[in-house]
Amino acid sequence: MSLNYAYHSAIAGIGATPFTKDSGRTPMDQAVEACLAACEDAGLPPEKVNGMVTYSAEQNPEIEVARNLGIDELTHFSMVHHGGGAACGVVAVACQAIYSGAADYVLCYRAFNERSWHRFGAGVQDRPAGAEASEVSFSWSSPFGLVTPASWVAMFATRYMHEYGATTEDFGRVSVVDRDFAATNPYAHFFQRPITLEDHQNSRWIVEPLRLLDCCQETDGAQALLVTTAERAKDLKQKPAVIASATQGVAEDQHMMRSYYRETITGIPEMGLCARQLYQSSGLSADDIQTAIIYDHFTPLVLPQLEEFGFCERGEAKDFIRDGHLGRDGRLPINTNGGQLGEAYIHGLNGIAEGVRQIRGTSVNQIDNVENMLATAGTAVPTSALILSQPR
Amino acid sequence: MSDEMTDEQKEAFVAKLRREVGSTGTPTVARDPVNQPMIRHWCDAMEDANPLYTEPDAASQGPHGEVVAPPAMLNAWTMIGLVPRVNDPKDPASGVYAMLDKAGYVGVVATNSEHVYHRYLKLGDHLTGTVKLVDVSEEKQTALGIGHFVTTETEYLDQNGGHVGSMFFRILKFRPGTGRTASSGDDTSNERPPRPRPSRNQDTDFFWQGSRVGELRIQKCLNCGYLQHPPGTRCPACGSTDMGYVVASGKGTLYSYVVSHHPRVPSFDYPLNIGLVELEEGVRLVTNITDCDADQLKVGMPLQAWHMQTHEDVSIPVFRPARAPRNPSTLTFDEVSVGDELPLCPIPLTPTLIVSTAIASRDYQDVHHNRDMALKKGSEDIFMNILTSSGLSARYISDWAGPDAVFKNLKIRLGAPNYPYDCMTMSGSVTAKRESDDEDIVEVSFRGQNSRGPHVTGTVELALARK
Repeated sequence: MSLNYAYHSAIAGIGATPFTKDSGRTPMDQAVEACLAACEDAGLPPEKVNGMVTYSAEQNPEIEVARNLGIDELTHFSMVHHGGGAACGVVAVACQAIYSGAADYVLCYRAFNERSWHRFGAGVQDRPAGAEASEVSFSWSSPFGLVTPASWVAMFATRYMHEYGATTEDFGRVSVVDRDFAATNPYAHFFQRPITLEDHQNSRWIVEPLRLLDCCQETDGAQALLVTTAERAKDLKQKPAVIASATQGVAEDQHMMRSYYRETITGIPEMGLCARQLYQSSGLSADDIQTAIIYDHFTPLVLPQLEEFGFCERGEAKDFIRDGHLGRDGRLPINTNGGQLGEAYIHGLNGIAEGVRQIRGTSVNQIDNVENMLATAGTAVPTSALILSQPR
Repeated sequence: MSDEMTDEQKEAFVAKLRREVGSTGTPTVARDPVNQPMIRHWCDAMEDANPLYTEPDAASQGPHGEVVAPPAMLNAWTMIGLVPRVNDPKDPASGVYAMLDKAGYVGVVATNSEHVYHRYLKLGDHLTGTVKLVDVSEEKQTALGIGHFVTTETEYLDQNGGHVGSMFFRILKFRPGTGRTASSGDDTSNERPPRPRPSRNQDTDFFWQGSRVGELRIQKCLNCGYLQHPPGTRCPACGSTDMGYVVASGKGTLYSYVVSHHPRVPSFDYPLNIGLVELEEGVRLVTNITDCDADQLKVGMPLQAWHMQTHEDVSIPVFRPARAPRNPSTLTFDEVSVGDELPLCPIPLTPTLIVSTAIASRDYQDVHHNRDMALKKGSEDIFMNILTSSGLSARYISDWAGPDAVFKNLKIRLGAPNYPYDCMTMSGSVTAKRESDDEDIVEVSFRGQNSRGPHVTGTVELALARK
């Protein structure tokens, strides 16, 4: 299998609303603002957009966003399943639509008030509800109180610590890196508020072994990306961030956040599948990546992602992190926007926007000589990933 | 009633209660000599399988050379029994109890028992116990109610006048309905909404039906035997759609776990132990780990399933620490180090356990077997008697140390009562080692915790042989 659309498309525009804890606006209003901002960033009149891709948990239908944007015709529209796991998946689907000719300019967006309208971290206390398979699956966890995303991830974390000797301090070091980058990003919620490892260790338990400072924020806000061919992007306002490759992955015995029944649960095989596909189709390897957005809804699953992408050996992410490789002067600075712990939690889409800025050379925490950057999507769910590259 | 008493009257009442402090009562001769049937009842009720207590062949090889009584039975032999029911009125302790009963302090709970064993009792030994009234406390407000602590000390002699042991004993006599928790309505367990109800369909119904009848059912391919959980509609191994189930043994180990603190769903108690259990049949499932503290959870710990009813028509399989098998050989002094932890041991508190152990220890206080009387005397239900708390503690220690470990003493203090349908989980650790010319002693501290808190805390000293 090869991904024929490698290097074919590019992200030509990015746009976002302010990231807040109480927007005072509807998510629809924010979705429209972010989409308009992405078009404006690219210098593209919004009515030229003829494709829209969203991902599940999105409550702002593309037809309403299109109406508000003044888009008359859409020739591609789709919703990718599995929430944050689809953050790069929407870009992959946009690439596929563009490569196939189904659309020319595709908007991907995420907008919500998941802090002020409902607390996303509260989980699925109201499920299971019905007898459909999607509901019945919660019967294997909710009656026992395993109802929140933090608790689903924590189960992997305990086993990972047991097998590889990682500690909660190693998780904390990820959090410290995120907050260090957030401290110098005026767009981040935690601008000018770095933390120490001690702060992390002193923060309260949410679900052991996860503390408060291992958990991403809940945010009100919106982010949009505009995707088109790399060729067309050249004629637009910004330097194109070429999509070297973008892919999705589901692996054997996959469950939603609770793939606990595999032979081992210390790896993320669906992310390993994404890594294989990205590297194979782009011709790149871990050595070619200068910076990355590693999905950080909860810090523990950053570690196996580093292993799946070959930045370190299996079980050795803790050593890679202890050696300081994720920070400003490290081998692989990650989450230079502050990540979802430090900047905002827009289900990964704000991280891809930061990747675009790193390619353009406009990040507030710009890394030197970025040729290629990696972005990953939500872990423990069916997931996705992409590599952005300099235009050739 | 004492709440109508003035301070002066109270003072006079305490003085009256204390009149006999320091005096001893008439010696009580055991109704029967130490005998095998009573020992067997005790061992059956306590589930104590130490062969030194019941099997002559094994006992002849042991440190005593013959069958001996479980040391914790010490005060069972001279218990007054069901008939005659009346205590000797001249006995100073009985006199105090009677005065307290008359004044409305009809509730009774034992709070401390400290056995010292000079030698193990053999079949045919005939005991005499002499009770000395040691202390009567001022009136105290306790969780159970307003009352007085009465402390006694009993010396046990054998048929030859030899000292075989002694017991320091304290009970609380209290007025029902005067406790700090009585009718304060802070027990919210009844107001708690039920847990999320598992939804089910034709593919998964067998699992929940199983839990309802106490079976942990795991889907099995009837063609190739492959087991899978959560269940599916088709075998991923061979493709067969001929699916059935096996009833799992319920034995498993903890593969991973979390302790949930936040957010708090009203249906659950927090912190909440949630485990991923690997069954001995090979599959895993998410469940709760009950009857142990969060800090007692360890990956790899052995677990046993039980079924918790959550709705009128729903039960769910949950797990508690597995009872460690009895150690058939005996630890030597050198094998034990200070800091060693004893394995956890859950003791499900069935009504049968509470009643049968009370009777086996010849404790016919109605609060241990008669629910109506227990309620009337200020208790929520029948509750475990203190001899049983001693006996189960001794069983726990002996199952770890081995049959030939010799108990030198057994000191316990009681807290939260052991009511039926709860579970008490024993834990313990070696807290001291002491060598001398004639004996090498190991001290173990232990605790038995139920859902309300620690029921029993205590220490025991064991003599262990050197290798």
